[in-house]
Amino acid sequence: MSDLVFLLPELVLAGTALVLILIARHVSRAQAVAVSVVVAAMAAIFSGWAFTPEAPEAPAAMTVVFGGTIAADGYARFFKVLFAATLALAALLSVKHVDTERVPPAEYYALLLLASTGMMLAASAADLLILYLGLELMILCAYVLVGITVNRPIANEAAIKYFLLGSFASALLLYGIALVYGVTGATDFAAIASAVSERNLTRHPFMLAGLALMAGGLAFKIAAVPFHAWAPDVYQGASAPVAAFLAAGSKAAGLAALVRVCLAAFAPEQRIWSEMLAGLAVLSMIVGSLLAISQTNMKRLLAYSSIAHVGYALLGLVTGTPDGASATITYAFIYSFMTLGAFGVVIALGERGEDLLAYRGLAATAPVTAALMFLFLLSLTGIPPTAGFVAKFAVILSAVRGGHVVLAVVAVMCSVVSAFFYLRVAVMMYMMEPQGAAPARVPGAVAAALAVAAFVTIVGGILPDTFTAWTVPPSLGKTPTEITRALTR
Amino acid sequence: MNFPILTSLIALPIAGAVLLLFIRDEERNEPLIRNIALIVSVLVFAETLLLWTRFNPASADFQFVERHAWIPAFGIDYFVGVDGISLLLLVLTGFLTPIALLSSWESVHKRLKMFCVFILLLESAMMGVFVSLDLFLFYVFWDAMLVPMYFLIGIWGYDRRIYAAVKFILYTMAGSVLMLLAILGLAYLHSQGTTGEYTFDLLKLYAMDVPRSQQFWFFLAFALAFAIKVPLFPFHTWLPDAHVEAPTAGSVILAGVLLKMGTYGLVRFAFPLFPEAASFFAPYLAGLAVIGIIYGALVAMVQPDMKKLVAYSSVSHLGFVVLGIAAMNTQGVQGAVYQMLNHGVSTGGLFLIVGMLSDRRHTRLISEYGGLKNVVPRLVAVFFLITLSSIGLPGLNGFVGEFLILLGAFRWDPRLAALAATGVILSATYMLWMFQRVNYGPVTDEKNAKLPDLQPREWLVIAPIVAIAILMGIFPNLFLKPIEPSVNRLIGQVSQRSSQRLQAGNSELRIPN
Repeated sequence: MSDLVFLLPELVLAGTALVLILIARHVSRAQAVAVSVVVAAMAAIFSGWAFTPEAPEAPAAMTVVFGGTIAADGYARFFKVLFAATLALAALLSVKHVDTERVPPAEYYALLLLASTGMMLAASAADLLILYLGLELMILCAYVLVGITVNRPIANEAAIKYFLLGSFASALLLYGIALVYGVTGATDFAAIASAVSERNLTRHPFMLAGLALMAGGLAFKIAAVPFHAWAPDVYQGASAPVAAFLAAGSKAAGLAALVRVCLAAFAPEQRIWSEMLAGLAVLSMIVGSLLAISQTNMKRLLAYSSIAHVGYALLGLVTGTPDGASATITYAFIYSFMTLGAFGVVIALGERGEDLLAYRGLAATAPVTAALMFLFLLSLTGIPPTAGFVAKFAVILSAVRGGHVVLAVVAVMCSVVSAFFYLRVAVMMYMMEPQGAAPARVPGAVAAALAVAAFVTIVGGILPDTFTAWTVPPSLGKTPTEITRALTR
Repeated sequence: MNFPILTSLIALPIAGAVLLLFIRDEERNEPLIRNIALIVSVLVFAETLLLWTRFNPASADFQFVERHAWIPAFGIDYFVGVDGISLLLLVLTGFLTPIALLSSWESVHKRLKMFCVFILLLESAMMGVFVSLDLFLFYVFWDAMLVPMYFLIGIWGYDRRIYAAVKFILYTMAGSVLMLLAILGLAYLHSQGTTGEYTFDLLKLYAMDVPRSQQFWFFLAFALAFAIKVPLFPFHTWLPDAHVEAPTAGSVILAGVLLKMGTYGLVRFAFPLFPEAASFFAPYLAGLAVIGIIYGALVAMVQPDMKKLVAYSSVSHLGFVVLGIAAMNTQGVQGAVYQMLNHGVSTGGLFLIVGMLSDRRHTRLISEYGGLKNVVPRLVAVFFLITLSSIGLPGLNGFVGEFLILLGAFRWDPRLAALAATGVILSATYMLWMFQRVNYGPVTDEKNAKLPDLQPREWLVIAPIVAIAILMGIFPNLFLKPIEPSVNRLIGQVSQRSSQRLQAGNSELRIPN
């Protein structure tokens, strides 16, 4: 039973979701639900914080619970906190949208909660099946969330596309898991790693095939090129809060799963997956940056930018070292907040937030909103002193450390390209004459979310040390759950 | 001295900018906004002067050093200090910022608050660039500076301002990202050394022996970033656009301070960090510099637009600075540092004059003017003095710098010096020709007949520039003295390390002498 304390964040969120579903018929306004979701997210953060062991006794040890299926380490804690924060921000950003689009609030928020539960499970999985379950729980909720505004055809189209492509990718992932199980006889990360190294399976053809299939399935989740085609359509079709949630949360969850699988389960195969990921990273950075240039829809632009950013984030993992993994998750953390912020501005502007041309003269009509957008854009470009710079710095430093100089050069070149399209928005906002009336006042919930995102973006840039202590790489190997025992005593 | 004066140089403008953010941008608040910005920038200038008086000119070391751990995980410190090379650049920055603000007194009304905020933020970032002794910190300021300049050009510029702003930022970023990689590479290399620690500390990196093959790449990456900033031929194409489209205040700061960051970077980072590669590439740099001197002058000669003419003259003048640095001897580098200050003063002055003329007539075309001598005699007198200072007439500031540079270049390679000297003649040609067309002859255009002469506010803007130009021409030692020890230390650093390698016999690099 004591193992359950490690799942408290998941339990809190899932429990809240179930309660919401039970009382769904009696709920009509989004605000109250959003508040309860934020409270649940806070509780999840607190419980995740309080009940995860500070650090494993031996650095190489993994503290596992539930018979070796769930990892209870600093890495899992870090992502649980991140996902709970993402959830809280997404909940705040959604309030107005849920009300105006006549989305049933309880169902909507229950889906957000369950998707976050899935993300948390995926990040703390120590077993391929749990990983798969977590990711599926997340993405099934996401399909529904994308299409939840039933009266918008574009949303339905996006949901169908997402569902078809997503199912295909999930099948790839599952097939890969099956092959790996077939070769090693295990789904447990530690067991896979030891089986591969003991029985010298690194070059086993089925092992390689399984690895490639899993990489494809996970690459879809993080929208890395060439598994990215869904992202622009889905982000554009989904309502902006859902797109924000996907861009931040589901991407970070995919990265969390990928980093853990690579380091914990497939450590012996490091050279192989490093090369695969290097390819994905280069393609994502180049394709994402280049295609973003010609976008005129803000959500599509942010979609392509999210594709490019996943490329940067992978730079850390490519090195295959714990330090590199740390850099990647630092990137995921900072990226989540800055992209939530950018989407938050899109949401704050309402209908006109989608059209790039509608940003003309925004600095004159809504100076604070424009300044916030500019802050997030600067951070996405990676210009100091914002958090985005620190994130890019961390991953590029680890690429240089790992000797991947070419990757680093591609990354910095792409960031110059990205400066062009991010700054184009700034040009619209600051250097052109205003069009039309001033945008409506920003709703309080959205303003609160924007404030949090801006806070993280600034503090992360000026005092990056405040969170580097938490971005611990996943623990490796397997030891008895000493810490669990200590807690039960 | 315990007061963190360098930090306050960075922090004071930011504090002023934050204060401004709390004032409503309304018409009745305009004087308040302007005065706050002006007072803050004057205070900063006073602080730089205080710094100068407290500075020990006999010492070559970094003074007023402050150091605090910032990001221990990466070995990054907040580490600042000044030596003779950066000291006067700080003073120059402090000097030009209030002048730039004053120059915009009448011409900028649109979104005045943001204008002042950006100028102050720019000042803070410029100060930061010149005092940083940690490469990471330096890069942060170096990049952060782009943003306010981008807005200054893009919002308050002329017709093609957006094109110019975007070109400015993309060019500069393209150069600086590779420098970022080189900085990371250096820190990594240091961690491979005996101590095994990551560090971005400039002094520790100075002491590190970078392998020859890596020096080559690192130097290229640094030099590219700085060459774009200077701008060295053929990386100069962003400059005419940025200058022409920028508002007067932007041009003054751009020409006066921003371009100096490129040459400062060469002196502070590229040469001493990678002495062997620097010695190897110095002739090429010098070659480009000489091409820039002559090319900039020739192109300046045919410009119909005064502002563009001054912009191209910057390419030419900055070529001299790079030539002096490449020579790497006492006269050359001292002259280069001196010329950085000169160029800030005289080109800043020229941009101010052009700005005053175009405020009156709303055109910058030389052909629109003519015969101003009798219409606005005082303005023309000042114009004449600054023109002479830019040409390098003995007795004014420009002469000292150019003379020292040519002397240094001659000791290094007489051919280069001879070629560069033609630039002096050419600069007299294009400047005086422009001056003649604008100010002499009959008044050809009715509109020019009734232009008002210098206003009191304009006197306030231009008089300090003229005074400094004369002061720097007559008492160069006042300025050269604090520079000298640091320059000698720098030259020692560069030549000693590259010749050590040579004696050890494991270098194929040619050391020019």
